Amino acid sequence: MDTVALSRMQFALTAIFHMLWPVLTTGMAIYLVIVEGLWLKTKNPIYYHHARFWAKLYVLNFGIGVASGLPMEFQFGTNWAPLSEATGDFLGSILGFEGAMAFMLEAGFLGIMLFGWNRVPPVIHYFATIMVAFGANLSTFWILAANSWLQTPAGGTFTEGGKFIVRDYFEAIFNPFMVNSVAHMFMATLETSLFVIGGISAWYLIQNRQPEFFSRSFKIVLATTIAVAPLQIYIGHLSGEQVRHMQPTKLAAMEAQWESIPAGTAADWSLVALPNDKAERNDWELKIPKALGYILEFKPTLSEAVPGLRDFPPENRPHMVGLIYYAFRTMVGIGFFLAGLMGVTVLQWLRGKLKADAIAQQRILLAGWIFAAPLGYLAIESGWVVRCVGRQPWTVYGQIRTVDAATNLPPGNVLTSLSIFALIYIVLFVTALYFGSRIIRHGPNLDLPIPSFDAPSLPPASVTHQPDQRPVEAQQ
Amino acid sequence: MDTLDYFLPQVWFAILALFLFLYVMLDGFDLGVGILSLTSSSEERRGILMTSLGNVWDANETWLVIMGGSLFGAFPLAYGTILNALYMPIWLMIFGLIFRAVAFEFREHAQRKFLWNVAFGAGSFAAALGQGFALGAVLSGIQVDAEGHFIGSTWDWLSWQSVLMALTLIQGYVLIGSTYLIMKTEGALQETHYRTAKLAAITTLIGAVLITITTPVFIDYARDRLFQPPQIYIFAVIPLLGVWFIWQLIQSLNAKAERAPFVWTILIFVLTFLGLALIVFPYIIPTEITIYDAAAAPSSLVFMIVFIGFLIPIMLAYNIYQYVVFRGKVTGENYGG
Repeated sequence: MDTVALSRMQFALTAIFHMLWPVLTTGMAIYLVIVEGLWLKTKNPIYYHHARFWAKLYVLNFGIGVASGLPMEFQFGTNWAPLSEATGDFLGSILGFEGAMAFMLEAGFLGIMLFGWNRVPPVIHYFATIMVAFGANLSTFWILAANSWLQTPAGGTFTEGGKFIVRDYFEAIFNPFMVNSVAHMFMATLETSLFVIGGISAWYLIQNRQPEFFSRSFKIVLATTIAVAPLQIYIGHLSGEQVRHMQPTKLAAMEAQWESIPAGTAADWSLVALPNDKAERNDWELKIPKALGYILEFKPTLSEAVPGLRDFPPENRPHMVGLIYYAFRTMVGIGFFLAGLMGVTVLQWLRGKLKADAIAQQRILLAGWIFAAPLGYLAIESGWVVRCVGRQPWTVYGQIRTVDAATNLPPGNVLTSLSIFALIYIVLFVTALYFGSRIIRHGPNLDLPIPSFDAPSLPPASVTHQPDQRPVEAQQ
Repeated sequence: MDTLDYFLPQVWFAILALFLFLYVMLDGFDLGVGILSLTSSSEERRGILMTSLGNVWDANETWLVIMGGSLFGAFPLAYGTILNALYMPIWLMIFGLIFRAVAFEFREHAQRKFLWNVAFGAGSFAAALGQGFALGAVLSGIQVDAEGHFIGSTWDWLSWQSVLMALTLIQGYVLIGSTYLIMKTEGALQETHYRTAKLAAITTLIGAVLITITTPVFIDYARDRLFQPPQIYIFAVIPLLGVWFIWQLIQSLNAKAERAPFVWTILIFVLTFLGLALIVFPYIIPTEITIYDAAAAPSSLVFMIVFIGFLIPIMLAYNIYQYVVFRGKVTGENYGG
């Protein structure tokens, strides 16, 4: 194996693993803001217990997210030095902004959010929770701005030597893909988090355990998904349109389309296929007649031609067509499934079947929600595969090839670090699942003392901070 | 080159030095506490040690992330070349930091804490070791071609200088970790850390003396800089001041002061840092590439000053607020019981 392939595998592994954790730390943060806000407004202790219970899953995610985020940044230098040198003026500063604006804000207020319940007045605590959520979602913004720039570089020029010189920072940040990509990712983490919370709540409801408590989170989630799930499909469609116009090779790979389709035709849409990269065709295919025009343009015929993969020389187009094709279908399929599940559940809600005392009878529906809990993650990972494998052979689309972006390291070095990563990440993944499921099985501790609204002054300096202020400890 | 081409890289050199210093000081005591936890005599003590870091380690580690991103943005060439040359020490540090980070939550959950105790202590140790190797390797110089790309080999970073630097940095971290624990603990645990602080002060002093002597003898570019006026006056003062600071530190430890040891240790760190920065400046990849060679375009440097520079006081403010909220001692009552 050559160094480029190994460095790509290392980036893929570390990115796919890392992506699992910020999902909840960005999406669930918004839910925590909602429930703490409800607590402050209604003074109903149940919302306080919600904030405490879900925060336990939150912090478990947070630690691994921080830990697995470090390699992402440093990898640019260690394994992609030529890319760093060529694009550092822009990409480096964006990563710096992310650290200074997003991570530090999140980290600076996380301590107060987790352990400060009895140390600061409720309003300050709420402010800390909002800052944590804001910081987390700001990092979504910066990372997606940086990645979008890799997809649709803008705002400057590449010199003879291949170095990117920024002319206009705002143009570079607001590159063509940026707005839709940020929105799509923001919605993705929110939707996934909502279905995780919904799924866990459903698991309790189906067993009739604490229905009063969990029907509340279930309904908050349901009410939010009414807006989120359909909107996400629409934003996804907008992103697809952009891919069509700015990255035609990616669209062709997403659809395993080898031949070009002329404008004005009513083309078929491929539902299942067996793409064959060597023969440059699909060995087998199941098509939905005349559907492509509706999917791309909401019209029976295409107004513009869709180029096929064969229109591009093999060195200028992605090659793992099957992976891109199925990853795209997985993502889209999950998006529609989640929206459908939301629709059916809302219908039952309107029919009055979701009252706390009767909801346990909706067994199939609740089972659907439990099944849906991990699906968002799968959709997110699939989406990233489409986005970044589909961008190949470029690292900066149309400008810097992946083979030219990699550091010329001895393959043995990369193989060693890659193997250690694989080992560590397996251990972390299994351990996190184990502890996470234990938190869920334990359930909320409704005996936690409620912080007082009336005497919110700072405690005197001599007060010690007790380990059992940790939300985890409070459960034991 | 006009003035701006000189001025902006210098500003960024100073900002990066500040970030690195904040990291070394703040995560320095985290890592020091982590290394000390390897010697904890009971689960209760180890719990207190980790709790004393619970609310701050993440923000402290974030200074490294900011430093990395800023180096990437301000001196892209240096980012690529240095990290390429330091492939192994960097990953050693990262793997260490990963274990350190996850240990906080996992240990809380685990019934058998042994594995995560080791992850915390050994992770902290590995991170410090990697940082020491990296620092030592950069100071002794990185082999580059005319364009500033790394042309050395995989094991270049390993030399007796980098080993000496790594060992000394670990002593320094243990020292600042001990003085932090003196502030945050009481009773027998505090007594233990008065002792570890004194021991670490002596070993740090030995390491610092060795580095001070060997650097001008064996590293050519450093010698050239050190023995020219006006640097020679500065570099004559630094060791003298350093010895005085360490003397004051030991005095304050003998007097059982609670805050003064930490303050003196920080002053020692400041002094060391100043000395190293003055030796290196204006190089960013010793011994060939200066900050002017490696800097990003002036437009980028200005833009980054606007977005990052102005945030520095805000970041410092809410970090300090957090320390104020969680001021006071960590006690062990009812812990783990």
